[in-house]
Amino acid sequence: MALTDDMIQLLSAGVAHQVGACTNAGRPVVCRGMAAQHEAGRLLVIISAESGFEVLDAVRQNGNIAVNLTLPENYRSISFIGNDAVVRGSGAAWRPLVDERHAAFSRQLLRFGIQPEYTNAWYSASDEHLVAIRFTPLQARNQTPGPGAGDPLALKPIEFEK
Amino acid sequence: MSAVFDDDLSLIGVRRMMEGVIPPVLCTASTDRVPNVSYLSLCEYVDPLHIALSYQFFNRSRENVLATRRAALTLDDPYTGAGVAMQLEYLRTETEGPVFERLRAKLMGVASHVGMDKVFHLRGADIYRVLEMRRVPGRKQLPATQPRVDLPTNSRLLSERMANCEDLADLLETMLDGLAELLHIEHAMLWLTDPSRQALTLLASHGYDTGGTGAEISVGEGLVGTAVREGVPIRVGHMMNMATYMRAVRDSADEAGFPSEHPPEIPLPGLKEPRSQLAVPLRARGRVLGALFVESQHDQYFGYDDEDALMMLCGQLAVAMSLMQPQEHELPAMPAAGVAATFEQSGPVVRLKRFGRDNSVFLDDVYLIRGVAGAILCKLVAEYLRSGRTEYTNRELRMAPELRLPDVQDNLEVRLLLLQRRLAEQRAAIQIEKAGRGKMRLVVSRPIVTEVAEN
Repeated sequence: MALTDDMIQLLSAGVAHQVGACTNAGRPVVCRGMAAQHEAGRLLVIISAESGFEVLDAVRQNGNIAVNLTLPENYRSISFIGNDAVVRGSGAAWRPLVDERHAAFSRQLLRFGIQPEYTNAWYSASDEHLVAIRFTPLQARNQTPGPGAGDPLALKPIEFEK
Repeated sequence: MSAVFDDDLSLIGVRRMMEGVIPPVLCTASTDRVPNVSYLSLCEYVDPLHIALSYQFFNRSRENVLATRRAALTLDDPYTGAGVAMQLEYLRTETEGPVFERLRAKLMGVASHVGMDKVFHLRGADIYRVLEMRRVPGRKQLPATQPRVDLPTNSRLLSERMANCEDLADLLETMLDGLAELLHIEHAMLWLTDPSRQALTLLASHGYDTGGTGAEISVGEGLVGTAVREGVPIRVGHMMNMATYMRAVRDSADEAGFPSEHPPEIPLPGLKEPRSQLAVPLRARGRVLGALFVESQHDQYFGYDDEDALMMLCGQLAVAMSLMQPQEHELPAMPAAGVAATFEQSGPVVRLKRFGRDNSVFLDDVYLIRGVAGAILCKLVAEYLRSGRTEYTNRELRMAPELRLPDVQDNLEVRLLLLQRRLAEQRAAIQIEKAGRGKMRLVVSRPIVTEVAEN
């Protein structure tokens, strides 16, 4: 399934990223992500291999993943769930995307008086630690805080080029 | 099972990360290992090995936790950007007791502040054992901020100043001035509980354009009302963030039709855009006598240390309020013959109107005060008009059955002070001033007529 247009817009709106996974032994793990991007029906999320080592281990074990995106200005929050996640490539190639998302996120938090110096702590991974995880979103869930958190949201079918 | 914590990490040491500036992130997984990530409203320190998480809605996280009893939690330091990651084991859900009450008070206090207390309902406090706690690696942290004052030393200084006060007015002034001078808390209000009406009345304030003495709110309303109802301190360090979170929950809950708010009879003082607020109950002899409310235009202005310091100072204030009785054995049983009124005041007549139901008093159609303070004023004025007396002892007021004073020893002195301050703030034609220890004097500058309405 593919993301709807408003979901794709959300990716670049200045969201906070949280990436969850679960090991085969049933240990849930979570880390902060730094960027997400839509790529032909798949979702790519960048994390730090240093702070997200447990998430990488769990993803490598079973491919299960949940990526939560939350826009600070209204707490609108969506999770994308997949079971085919793979860890791909790392390094400086992701830096421009990370910087762009970092800037948008910092602008969001500045609305709340949180200074960029503070946000920088979450984006301080070096290029060598940037790692991408790609997966096909099977489900989208509304995670806006409240009674409906966890309820499914509609995705649209992937359109293949003929 | 023993807990595994990184060196130098303890739950008490990271409790400032639980304040919700950056909401805690919870990750659970289903029995088939499908993860679910969500933000939490509240996380509360319980003891060195346990924390409590708010349970408000039955959602996917809840379903997963009940099925697997495992969760991962991350917390971010609101000052340095550092973070910790925890592994949790769900133990039980508490629906009563001190942990539940603390969580509920915090939730209701914040929700009430942003007008959403009808939406929020704490179903329980989920108690978790912390199995592991590790620092999130790889973060370039900011240096820790310096404390704004030496809180223990300056609190002690203020406590000593308060201990030297001989009367209630002096005590309140000393405390509010000391908060500003010694603790750098410039905006403060002292609220007084009126148990018979389930209301709070503003007794004194500091650092605002309007004094607001006599303004009222209901017990349970806002941070102050909730702190009084629950008898616990409530602190919000990042008002904008929390308000946005609350609005998201309200929208999500799709609730509508909140009761409309009536404008208060006396405008409430308060900062237009507060960033940090703290309400601390005044507790003595097992009762909540009122609350101290402080606020700031800066984010995260009040920490746990401020809460601890103000709890101690408020405890001292509450006990002092209870004990600060005039030494009646030194007084004559009755006052000297009433000082005769001259009844020669000039100027337009002041109309004092009293509504019998709640002892509301209006002067020239302007609301003045209600409750016990209103009843006191009416008694004094009635006696003045009948006999011309202007001087009274506190004792004879305390004995007056028609005042129906609540069963709290300090109540008369506090109500008198409230009345005195409200009259002074209004520059009313009737004033009350001290006339020696345990005595007061009515000062009337214009002719008075009185009127009683039943409703």
